[in-house]
Amino acid sequence: MSWCWLARTDERPPGALAAATISSGGFLAAFASDGPAPPGERKIDARAVDPDGASALASLVLAPDGVTIAFDDPAVSGALRAALAAPWPGVLSTLVVETSRFAGALTAARDGDRARLRSDPFARIFPAEIVEVGPGLLGTTPPPTGPVIQRYGGGEPWPWDRFAG
Amino acid sequence: MRDDLKPGSSFPDLELPDHAGNPRRLSELTGGDPLVLIFYRGWWCPKEQSFFRGLVAFQDEVEVAYTRLVSVSVDPPEVAAAFRAGLAARWTFLSDAERRYLEELDLLETTDTLHHPYVPTAFTLYPDLTICSVWNGYWVWGRPSLEELRRDLRTITKAIRPDWEVPSA
Repeated sequence: MSWCWLARTDERPPGALAAATISSGGFLAAFASDGPAPPGERKIDARAVDPDGASALASLVLAPDGVTIAFDDPAVSGALRAALAAPWPGVLSTLVVETSRFAGALTAARDGDRARLRSDPFARIFPAEIVEVGPGLLGTTPPPTGPVIQRYGGGEPWPWDRFAG
Repeated sequence: MRDDLKPGSSFPDLELPDHAGNPRRLSELTGGDPLVLIFYRGWWCPKEQSFFRGLVAFQDEVEVAYTRLVSVSVDPPEVAAAFRAGLAARWTFLSDAERRYLEELDLLETTDTLHHPYVPTAFTLYPDLTICSVWNGYWVWGRPSLEELRRDLRTITKAIRPDWEVPSA
């Protein structure tokens, strides 16, 4: 499995693969890709999700409800380039809707590097907030080899970087 | 250079820290895509700086072509990270500061007794690390031009992508 559903919820949802509180209120929850899509229908790289993961400071970029832009929009490509050029934060995934629509990003730094999160390149595209994500949600995404910014198949959230799902 | 590092042979699956200190393995970095692997002397060499500026221009094509770039030197990770940032490079820089593979690959530049660096050498590799081409870059004109890299990447991509010929309806 290369991706999971990700949703922001008011209550801890039953049946979630992983869920954690966020300091601005409510929960972030991940759901299995073969289950029903939660509201927002956002996909996240599965490696960014770990039910045993520790808490972390995160930049959560979410498009307003119902709003997405093409993943290949130059604004997204520019943000991907900036993310590749900067020190890799440890957890980073774009949030993808359908096969090719960008709807946000989740970046977390377990070293608490707030400055890195403040300069989140995806925050130039959609509204962002810096939140403390509690334990039980965040995994680790290894840095991609680069300089590839393309996704490898329909619906794969970057930085997933290979064809075989 | 080791005799068996030639087209058709398998390149060793190196394991080295990247510019951020993460342990990386070549077979993981290639991830099913063609790979350009560059051994370079170090950040301080003007020839490398010039060659890498060309690669930085090339990365705009590579980033949309399902192809990867990796470079290796004896620079420590923090030095490689600074060189990478200064160039605005977006690929992975591996660090062999302990010179673990210099001897194994027989790529020590013996004429530089100060830095003990790698001999500038470029490889194009298939995803299974089979060597497509090798360039000895001791002299600048021995290095691959971007056109030569493009030609190899076309050859490799054509060989590994079953849909190179556009699927018919």
